[in-house]
Amino acid sequence: MGTGKFQDAETMVGAVRASGAQIVTVALRRVGRNPREDDMLGSLGELKGITLMPNTSGARNASEAIRAARLGRELCGSPFVKVEIHPNPHHLMPDPIETFEAATVLAAEGFVVMPYMPADPVLAKRLEDVGCASLMPLGSAIGSGRGLATAEMLRLILRDARIPVIVDAGLRSPSEAAAALEMGCDAVLVNSAVAASGDPIAMAAAFARAVGAGRDAHRAGLMPQGGGAALATSPLTAFLSVEGA
Amino acid sequence: MTAQPRMPAWLDPSPWLDGRGATPADVERALGCDAPGPRELAALLSPAARPFMEEMAQRARALTQRHFGRTISMYAPLYLANFCTNGCAYCGFASDRVQPRRRLEPPEVEEELAALKETGFEEVLLLTGERTPHAGFDYLLECVSLAARMFHAVGVEAFPMTTREYALLAEAGCSGVTLYQETYDPRQYDRLHRWGPKKDYLDRLDGPARAMEAGIRTVGLGVLLGLSDPVFDAVCLLRHAAHLQRDHWKSGITLSFPRLRPQSGNFSATFPVDEAGLARLVFAVRIVLPDVPLLLSTRERPEFRDGMAGLGISKMSAGSRTSVGGYGEADPATEGQFEVGDKRSVPDFCAMLRNRGLEPVFKNWDSVFRDAAGAGHG
Repeated sequence: MGTGKFQDAETMVGAVRASGAQIVTVALRRVGRNPREDDMLGSLGELKGITLMPNTSGARNASEAIRAARLGRELCGSPFVKVEIHPNPHHLMPDPIETFEAATVLAAEGFVVMPYMPADPVLAKRLEDVGCASLMPLGSAIGSGRGLATAEMLRLILRDARIPVIVDAGLRSPSEAAAALEMGCDAVLVNSAVAASGDPIAMAAAFARAVGAGRDAHRAGLMPQGGGAALATSPLTAFLSVEGA
Repeated sequence: MTAQPRMPAWLDPSPWLDGRGATPADVERALGCDAPGPRELAALLSPAARPFMEEMAQRARALTQRHFGRTISMYAPLYLANFCTNGCAYCGFASDRVQPRRRLEPPEVEEELAALKETGFEEVLLLTGERTPHAGFDYLLECVSLAARMFHAVGVEAFPMTTREYALLAEAGCSGVTLYQETYDPRQYDRLHRWGPKKDYLDRLDGPARAMEAGIRTVGLGVLLGLSDPVFDAVCLLRHAAHLQRDHWKSGITLSFPRLRPQSGNFSATFPVDEAGLARLVFAVRIVLPDVPLLLSTRERPEFRDGMAGLGISKMSAGSRTSVGGYGEADPATEGQFEVGDKRSVPDFCAMLRNRGLEPVFKNWDSVFRDAAGAGHG
């Protein structure tokens, strides 16, 4: 779960609990070094048994992200870092080149690096090779609510990945989260879809059920779809047995 | 008298101003458009759009929630000096206005910053008038350095500068520059700016691009509503923003919608914009620019600000003083630049936001990002 965009800390904590999330990410730019009412760390302290993952949202390049990650580790006491580098402050699309550079340095420093990244199968393998702990490709642009617009690329990433794949950004509805898990993704990361919904706590719970259903469906194995053609009622290859008889 | 400035082709709004004769069908099309632009903005600001106010407000709120969640970023202005050499007809700090002039000396700046910090702000906007011997670039640079030691985000609203000067400000810890064109209409601009360096329309117009080129992260644009045709100005504002975004894709843009307020000099708005007009402008701009932070200052009355919070608006000031020395001094020696409409305290304003299901966010930026570039003080 992402922790920004909520109307208050109580709703945020309630939504995280309802979601069953195991990892929450917190933007360093929202963390105060002096405790304050709107400081994220104070509220997140109430959540036990959850891994805290500082993110570098706001960084425009690798050096800013690396510095933010180091400070985040000091402040939050967590080796996890969501590397988030988006030079364009409006659409917030991740920079693949700077992300790769920052991930390389931080993984070598012992961080548990989880990069927010474009849904690019080649970049995914490059990030895996430098020691990232997971891949976090976007489903669609942050805050767009366009769902799994990158589904075809996600399938290629999933096919080759040796580390967990977490769909990050763009999801709007629990059904999209279920679809990501059905596809084989290991998790989803949501914020706006919950925080900007009509009832964030209820929506978080809905996402929890959807993720569970998607995971179960993936384990059970979806029925084959093939090329879309229905099975012919009369076998098309019956003639082969004549020769072999 | 200087020649009237020519409007650059990239800014000229005339191809889209036909939208002022828009029909209800044009407005509906604008509301349903996937990628609305200047044409749609003009339609949404046309008389035909008046019956669509509620629909526009709903759309503006949904887009604001989608991109900014249920939060309002908080900032505070700090007036450093009110010396000025300009003759802006609408400004209380114009050089022909009779009022005490002063600047805060660096120890006083520190006191003001400390008083402001006490109220919880982490983002401060430093304001001065035109570049003068009393308060020139070096003075501003020193003030930015002082502020960057105490605040995570430091912005400057001052005179246009050179690229080199903006770069020095960025190195000192300035992350934002606000530079309003006041009006994009060259004829009105020339008439209202009676004398002084600010009379140079093109120098001011190019200021934001210079700031972005110099590495300033966020540039605030705006017009002073009341000075000129608001539809003309709004379309120009959109075109200016789009032009900057194409050339400087790593910089952010914010937009403000100040309305002319009573100030010393008794200038009356030539094109008055009422509250409904201002609200419609904010809704329309939010629809056209869903991911750009839109600001609303304390110029407006409390009830209006309450209603607009989260309804397009994503960033607000509170508890503002527009006089030099307004935070630390019980009785500042100067008048404010304009009359503050919302005089509520910061806690009162925040309580209102919370009652409306919004979270006031004071820290939404960390100085570590500027320090990573090898500058600033953190």
